[in-house]
Amino acid sequence: MNLIRLQRMPIATPRVAFAFRVASVLLALFTTAIALSISGRSPVALGAKVISATFGSSFGLEDLALLFSPLVYCGLSVAVALRIGAWNIGAEGQFNFGAFCATGVALFVQGPTWVILPLMALAGMVGGALWILIPTLARAYADVSELITTLLMNFVAILLVYWVATGPWLDPSGMALATTSRLPVSVPALWGIVHWGPLVGIFLAIALALFVTYTRWGYEVRIAGANPGAARYAGMPVKTQLIGIMLLSGAIAGLGGMMEVAGTVGRLQGGISNNYGYIGIMVAVLARAAPIGVLATAFFMAVLLNGGIVLQSQGLTTHTVLAVTGLILLYAAIGDEMAHYKILHPKVKDI
Amino acid sequence: MISTKSLSRRGFLNMGVAAGVGLVLPKTGLLQPAHAAAPLAPVAEENAHIAFGHTGPTSDEGWTWAHDQGMKAVEAAFPKLRTSYVESIPYSADATRIYRQFVADDANMVFATSNYGDFLYDVANRAPNVAFYECDGRSALENLGTYYVSHWYPSYIAGIAAGAMSPSGKLGYVASFPVPSVYSGTNAFLMGARTVNPEATLQAIVINSWFDPQAATQAGTALIDNGCDVLFGIMDEAGYLQVAEERGAKAVMWNTDLRRYGPNAYISSIIVDFKAFYVEQVRRRLAGEWTPTQDLLPFGSGVDVDAWGATVPADVAAKADAVKASIMDGSFNPFLGEIKDSKGNVKVAKGETMTEQELYHWNWSIEGVSGLDT
Repeated sequence: MNLIRLQRMPIATPRVAFAFRVASVLLALFTTAIALSISGRSPVALGAKVISATFGSSFGLEDLALLFSPLVYCGLSVAVALRIGAWNIGAEGQFNFGAFCATGVALFVQGPTWVILPLMALAGMVGGALWILIPTLARAYADVSELITTLLMNFVAILLVYWVATGPWLDPSGMALATTSRLPVSVPALWGIVHWGPLVGIFLAIALALFVTYTRWGYEVRIAGANPGAARYAGMPVKTQLIGIMLLSGAIAGLGGMMEVAGTVGRLQGGISNNYGYIGIMVAVLARAAPIGVLATAFFMAVLLNGGIVLQSQGLTTHTVLAVTGLILLYAAIGDEMAHYKILHPKVKDI
Repeated sequence: MISTKSLSRRGFLNMGVAAGVGLVLPKTGLLQPAHAAAPLAPVAEENAHIAFGHTGPTSDEGWTWAHDQGMKAVEAAFPKLRTSYVESIPYSADATRIYRQFVADDANMVFATSNYGDFLYDVANRAPNVAFYECDGRSALENLGTYYVSHWYPSYIAGIAAGAMSPSGKLGYVASFPVPSVYSGTNAFLMGARTVNPEATLQAIVINSWFDPQAATQAGTALIDNGCDVLFGIMDEAGYLQVAEERGAKAVMWNTDLRRYGPNAYISSIIVDFKAFYVEQVRRRLAGEWTPTQDLLPFGSGVDVDAWGATVPADVAAKADAVKASIMDGSFNPFLGEIKDSKGNVKVAKGETMTEQELYHWNWSIEGVSGLDT
């Protein structure tokens, strides 16, 4: 008789991996559909509604692009750090602090828009990098896990934004509650209400992909991420690279915060990050830390989140939507692991 | 032009008749009187879609529940129209997306039951044929009105009972954000308490949410640990009432009758009721009469103090009720100068009374309130 054996391969071929990824997403959506029909709703009608509302109107497409922006920056931020084996759980905090610094420039520096906007972008990036500086140094010099430190810094940044937006920077007009004044400058619109944020994010992803693939630094970062011991042995400046990459990671998230406050929202207020930093972790993991992959997964996640909003207006709760995202991630993780297995048919001689 | 004060004393229903007259905020000039110009076109009941955007879950037994009751009243009054709602909308760009989704879904009228500021304003600005109402709102458009409750009067009345029932004179307050409704609530409550105990003080803790039972419970515990023996707050649920019950303290709540969560601790609640308001505004929208208004539901019809809790002494209840009657008949206004802020500056001169708009926009703490002013 023939025994089927499974063998784990060290590398999954891209085609197999992709097939498993698609299958796991479909399976997650299918599971959701079953849950929806059990609760007495028509998954087909809801699905059609989601697709027509998202892709069938300029409203939906604008919303999609605006959701895509923070997800790309946060996804890239986490992905870049992952390349060197660091888990940046703090994109949320860097996003907030970047938004905070950019707002500071907008509110307190006067000048023409073409000076102020780049200055805000710079402030956002420097702010994001500053916010990851302590976890970076702690990781590089004291071997303190960045997983915990970056996470803890989130709460500080989030509360800082709440505080300035309801305290010292509160809109003095009394016409807006718990928020700063409307920023005097904003990122110019490209199409409808969509600003430059998403497009800059796409360019950034391409630049990072080229950097990782074609530069010596990118190569060394990959080696240092895959095997720090070997990299060190080969004489690569692992510590310097770690510091550089983590600061870059923070800067990207900070730039995302700047785009959100200066492009999408127009004011700094508590809750502006809307969990994008945490969703960015999902985006990066699903993309296997590949910058171009982040574009795809950020888009996918934007469709999912936007679909969630459509579903909410159809009477579903936010929890359902969260559950769907969670399911997809879970199935994708299972699928990724399964893609490594190969079915072996050992040849058994007929007796 | 009708003055704000006289408006609040009349029922808000009269405002619909006086269509085209809105409140004017002389200080800012941002709120323009609603134009007497063309109301939005009428909508047949069977084609109408009325949408509600909530800050919390409709099951909160508090603020959002009260608004949900309003939606149910609309459904009962106009059974052929379609309603929809989204709960727990965050104060982020997601709010814009949800309100835009209502518009895309052909809503004729959208009620935002909390202040969503620009997130709502930007949507309303681009959807001129949809009627928008923002609760506790601050901006106006030709299709965006605001509504809120003059809760400072019942807060003052509840404060009288709280002052009488607080041996320590230390009152605690679980605050959402340092926003005007929190300033007016804390200030009015302490002013009421000080009519009984002139030494009373109030400590506030800000938890950055309207609905976060865990944070509200922690804040309530911290306040009692600090020596407060009566808690007040502006939460959409009963968390700190349960803390007060366990710790033998007292509590004044918001929105609904919550006494079953703390029968001994319960003093009263600032009860809100939006049913009549919603039904009337939807009627105006369907009939083609709708122009935006800036409504403050007056003390007694839309906002009130709840029946006193079981442990409120009869003489305390009688005293508070007598003050309530004098406010209702217009013979007494508690917000009479001189009133000093927490830094000792005289903000309302002796003999002056605060206008309804000043109360609505109150953004400083009176002397004795800590935890809000920075």
